[in-house]
Amino acid sequence: MKSTRWLFILIALVAGIGIGLAYGWVVDPVEFFDLTPDTLRADYKTDYVLMVAEAYHSEADPGLAAHRLAIFGSRSPSTIAADGLEFARTNGFSDSDIALIQELVTALQAWSGIQ
Amino acid sequence: MRRFPWDILLALLLGLGAGLAYSWMISPLQVFDSEPIALRTDFKDDYRSAIAASYAVTGNLPRARARLALLGDSNLIETLNSQAQRLTAGGEFAQADQLAALALALDHGTSAEAQPTLTSTAKSNNPNQGKATATFPPTPEELPFQFTETPPASDTETVVTLSTPDNPTPRPTRTLIPTVGAPFALTTQDTVCDANLPDGLLQIIVFNSSHRQVAGARIIITWDNGEEQFFTGLKPELGNGYADYNMSPGLTYTVRISAGGDIASGLTAPTCQTPTGESFQGGIKLTFEQP
Repeated sequence: MKSTRWLFILIALVAGIGIGLAYGWVVDPVEFFDLTPDTLRADYKTDYVLMVAEAYHSEADPGLAAHRLAIFGSRSPSTIAADGLEFARTNGFSDSDIALIQELVTALQAWSGIQ
Repeated sequence: MRRFPWDILLALLLGLGAGLAYSWMISPLQVFDSEPIALRTDFKDDYRSAIAASYAVTGNLPRARARLALLGDSNLIETLNSQAQRLTAGGEFAQADQLAALALALDHGTSAEAQPTLTSTAKSNNPNQGKATATFPPTPEELPFQFTETPPASDTETVVTLSTPDNPTPRPTRTLIPTVGAPFALTTQDTVCDANLPDGLLQIIVFNSSHRQVAGARIIITWDNGEEQFFTGLKPELGNGYADYNMSPGLTYTVRISAGGDIASGLTAPTCQTPTGESFQGGIKLTFEQP
């Protein structure tokens, strides 16, 4: 077989791979559902932290707040809340929201988790 | 005649297959920046509980509604009531109360009417963009029904948010202070002689002051040396405020709602007769309502 023929075969193979990747990654990517909260966009995570902070402001139960934040995985609750605080500070959340999250962060940092 | 280039076509197909296998199986797109609607069902429940807990404190209904919309539930009230009933069955009454209260507020649209001055400062990446501040003292008729204790009043500003800037500007809400609500009054007590119903069936329907059925209301039934508790809403097909109990013949029962109110006492299964003269145990239907 001529070398040009092999060249065409190689080009076709590469083109096929390229088309396959484009289809699988762009046109019809794998659809995800049943996701875990750690995959949430940062603003949604922060809004969840804010909800927990709002509830904590009244309940004053750091254990319950830590339990609620545990849906984000194995990181410590105070770290999760601190990440939310950082996002809130850098993205224009209201002062009252930031204060609530700050209160939660402080409480969780002081909370030992042993009740 | 020129031969069809099967070898090239085969190479193209092989490449296509390899590309798809890599992009779909070996290295699919990494999941990040997902939205709450894509969460697993149990995590959606957690998210909903957090929304209800937040609402119980802030009383900010538009914000709670906007957050719930992120979960993509087709029927918010039904979903909340359903989760409240599951939690009630699991003994998690506090969370169930919060969810039921939020469902009730959504059903009633408690705080949607208030229209104080709006200060819009939408500038963040908060999923619920748009802010407004307003704090009003509640009027008695706007206080949502809730079974839990009255939390302290919040003097923080109320923040109203929306999921997208394209949505209509939300109306700020009054900062509501959830209360236990007025005690339930026993409004009707009827004898039910229906041979198609189970013998000795005690039916209870609980309404709030807006004539809406109340899900998750804890009912306490007592008799000589015995007591049981059950909840409304466990048979949603019969109404969110419906509950029933099978009375034993010969026993006298007393029924009350744990949230407080009238006591229905001296309840015994009545003896009824069919048109043919046969006797059977009838039932009783009680209706409780907040004045």
